[in-house]
Amino acid sequence: MGALAAAIAVGLAALGAGVGNGLIVSRTVEGIARQPELRGQLQTTMFIGVGLVEAMPIIAVVIALMVM
Amino acid sequence: MSEYESMIRRQRKWMLYLLAILVLGTGFTPYTEIFNGLILGTVISFYNLWLLQQKTNAFGKSVAESGTARGGLGVFSRLAAAAIGVLLALRFPEIFHIMAVAIGILSSYLIILFDMLIVIITQKKKPNNS
Repeated sequence: MGALAAAIAVGLAALGAGVGNGLIVSRTVEGIARQPELRGQLQTTMFIGVGLVEAMPIIAVVIALMVM
Repeated sequence: MSEYESMIRRQRKWMLYLLAILVLGTGFTPYTEIFNGLILGTVISFYNLWLLQQKTNAFGKSVAESGTARGGLGVFSRLAAAAIGVLLALRFPEIFHIMAVAIGILSSYLIILFDMLIVIITQKKKPNNS
């Protein structure tokens, strides 16, 4: 049951992060495709957004492995 | 140097400062397991940060040049790196403190937030900046 709980925790966290990353990246791609000269700024915003969104599944992986 | 490149340099600099402080803590304090765990977690976090920086740069480059998004952002590699760190800490509990590894893995996110905060504060202090 521990492995199942860990799998559910990591899976749900990855699902949420996937949706969040998808929203961030799709808007960034749109922006860079419209204005390639703004690539630096948009990339910076995307980097911060993706980095912070990804903290959640990484925490989930760590906690799931700890409690398994 | 573009905004993105300068941000990358600043973040690497902060991470190296943090690692240097942690190495000093391992060498000169009695809390060796905790600092070992923090170093392991921070090294993994540094790898995660470097990977995210490289992948984001390559992604932006491909979108700007070809208009289409090619390649991913390396999410699975970062999750696997974090899992390796935790597994190492679970395998060798006499060397690494598990909670310290977990805190160390999150250090790059603290660095990102800290760096962003400093940039916002310094931009507000500049007089002719819109």
